[in-house]
Amino acid sequence: MTALDLLNVTAQAAYVVTFVLVGVKTVRHPTPAHRDMTLFFGVMALAILAQRIAPFFSTLPPAWVTGAVVVLLMAMPYVLLRLVADFSVVRPWLMRTVEVLVVAAVVAEVAFAGDAPAGVLLAMVAYFAAVFVYCGTAFMSGARRGQGITRRRLEAVSIGSIFIGVAILLAGSELLVGEIAAPILNAMAQLFFLASALAYYAGFAPPTFLRRAWQAPEIDAFLTRAAELPRRPTTSEIVRELERGAASATGAAATIGLWDEDRGALRFLRAEPSTEYVDVRPGELAGGRAFASQHIEFSADPQRDHPEGREVYRATGVGATIAAPITSGDRRLGVLCLFAARSPLFAVSDTELAKLFADQAATILEARVLIDHAARVRAQEEATRLKEDFLSAAAHDLRTPLTTLLAQAQFLERRARRDPSAPADLKGLERIAREAERLRSLVADLLDVARLEQRRLLGEREPVDLAAIVGKIADRRDDGRARVRLEVRSPVVGTYDRQRIEQLLENLLENALKYSETSAPVTVEVWQDADAARISVRDQGIGIPASDLPRIFERFTRASNVDDRRFHGMGLGLYICRGIAEEHGGRIWAESEVGKGSAFHVELPLSMERRAN
Amino acid sequence: MGVMVVGVWAGEGGRAGPPGRPSPSGSLGAGRRDRPRVLVVDDDPAILATVQDILAAEGWEVVAVETGVEAVASIRDQRPAVMLLDMRMPGMDGWAVARAAREQAPGVPIVVMTAAENAAAWAAEVAAEAYVAKPFMLDDLLRVVDRFRTGGGRPN
Repeated sequence: MTALDLLNVTAQAAYVVTFVLVGVKTVRHPTPAHRDMTLFFGVMALAILAQRIAPFFSTLPPAWVTGAVVVLLMAMPYVLLRLVADFSVVRPWLMRTVEVLVVAAVVAEVAFAGDAPAGVLLAMVAYFAAVFVYCGTAFMSGARRGQGITRRRLEAVSIGSIFIGVAILLAGSELLVGEIAAPILNAMAQLFFLASALAYYAGFAPPTFLRRAWQAPEIDAFLTRAAELPRRPTTSEIVRELERGAASATGAAATIGLWDEDRGALRFLRAEPSTEYVDVRPGELAGGRAFASQHIEFSADPQRDHPEGREVYRATGVGATIAAPITSGDRRLGVLCLFAARSPLFAVSDTELAKLFADQAATILEARVLIDHAARVRAQEEATRLKEDFLSAAAHDLRTPLTTLLAQAQFLERRARRDPSAPADLKGLERIAREAERLRSLVADLLDVARLEQRRLLGEREPVDLAAIVGKIADRRDDGRARVRLEVRSPVVGTYDRQRIEQLLENLLENALKYSETSAPVTVEVWQDADAARISVRDQGIGIPASDLPRIFERFTRASNVDDRRFHGMGLGLYICRGIAEEHGGRIWAESEVGKGSAFHVELPLSMERRAN
Repeated sequence: MGVMVVGVWAGEGGRAGPPGRPSPSGSLGAGRRDRPRVLVVDDDPAILATVQDILAAEGWEVVAVETGVEAVASIRDQRPAVMLLDMRMPGMDGWAVARAAREQAPGVPIVVMTAAENAAAWAAEVAAEAYVAKPFMLDDLLRVVDRFRTGGGRPN
């Protein structure tokens, strides 16, 4: 036996073995792709066997055997094209053309009875090679769209197709070259045949070890990420990440449905970027069925196995599905569904992988539930603490001016009794008046906060010109120093609670004046932006540290650089401002740089009705 | 912010007093003088001024300060007969002042004066000799402070 013979035998054996393997698969899971694979390798195996067995019976195989083998070989490109159609999309006209060409090739073979002129033979070789190369590129583009193991399998198949095309070209070229070069070409052709057989085998019927090796990188990557998943901010983000992990490892589309007790349904997030949900009842479709039975459901043909979802499966081009329940102990959390986009690339062994992912998902989601629960408890404790803080801070701040009022009043009284002729203690009286005013504004703020928390801050609304209000408040607050600069071009009229809007603007202006040098200007702008009124108050004051900015609109929060002794206040002003803006359907925000100044911006819709639309 | 020494005798013995007047050192103690000295610490200027006026009218020499830091300096230098101490203050708070006072001027009684809910508990935390909850009645304040009129020592 020459080396060439060995090559030949090996290549042919590889094809026959592949045929047997996919044949077994087809018997177990008859799917269109499995059938086409069996057909493809069957033709090859039959041709090989005919060639190998015939010599045992006579020196030459009977003519009808040769003829049948040739006809079968002629159909190979067509069968391969059908395989491409199972994995990807083949244009119908191409399919029809190749069908016609198959018939033409058979007719030519019969007509010339194995004795065709070189031109016809070459045309046949070219047709073979073209179809195989086309199939190779089609598989390759399918691979590019796929991921994980699917991608690798399609790449292998694509390489196999290209190799077979090249092998046919080489074998065909033997006819054109001289006696000396022909054996070399033949040897090369055999090499390519062998390589293609191996590639096809790896792609169409990967042995378990290869399958695992191809899946390993994605599974590893996923498991590495899995540990930090429960800490993702939202459950839907975790679900998305789980879906991505399962999809990349299996090379299929993955979707997770979480059980919603109130709806009595599994909720699936639609494919990204959608944020909508699809509800599936237990027992419905592959996912619902797996959830109800608590067993992994494998379906090679979901359109047949789940007729209730035929339209959905057809519309989404789902070929095969695996659905695995996500269950932690006896808590049924949901279901993981894997969909092979067009092809039944799944092996039954993929159900084990699906189970691994479902169990992983259960662990992660369960951890998430615990983290959520802990967060809720913390939030409750925080709310209680805030309420207590509020009460004690409010009590403390009310008692402070009251202390002066009570002590000073009693002291004045005692003085007057002891010495009725003594001159009035003006300082003491002023102190009483000032502290009483402080108490009044404190009580007003606290009442506002109480109203705000009941969402009853706003009263009657009427058309209000913000420009006019700003002008009025600036006049009132400017204490003759002309610090306030107005940038108001035209009236901006919206439907607001006049008193509250005045309070809002007064508060912002007062803050701007209070927290900047007595010589520094404060700019107030009012303008209309689409159907919203915009107000900006800018100062060149002490500014707000970046770390405090997000919290300054919360109650009892004052920037950390505010000197409590220089600036009195409970930290309720901006909280009330935010309440006023938000109850008008608007918003308030601030920008600031320490030492440079602050800008407070308010946006108010001109009318609530327009906003509601 | 300087130390304010209050009353008609403003300047006498105060650090802010006119130059040339000798400033009494802590070792002289309050007991040697005819006017007992009280240190009042409160970050609220209105309360501070009111308490100042009240105690001055009762014959106290009042040292009034708005911050914890000034309080510690004053208790060391002026050796008051008693310190009226607000607890919740920005920067150095009442707890820190009390701790420093016990170290630097042991024996000066502390009267906690706070608007907080748990005045008694806070007073206990710093082992204060007495406490006054804000808002207080005039007589209550005077009664508590009078217990320490006799000198820098503890009443009992």
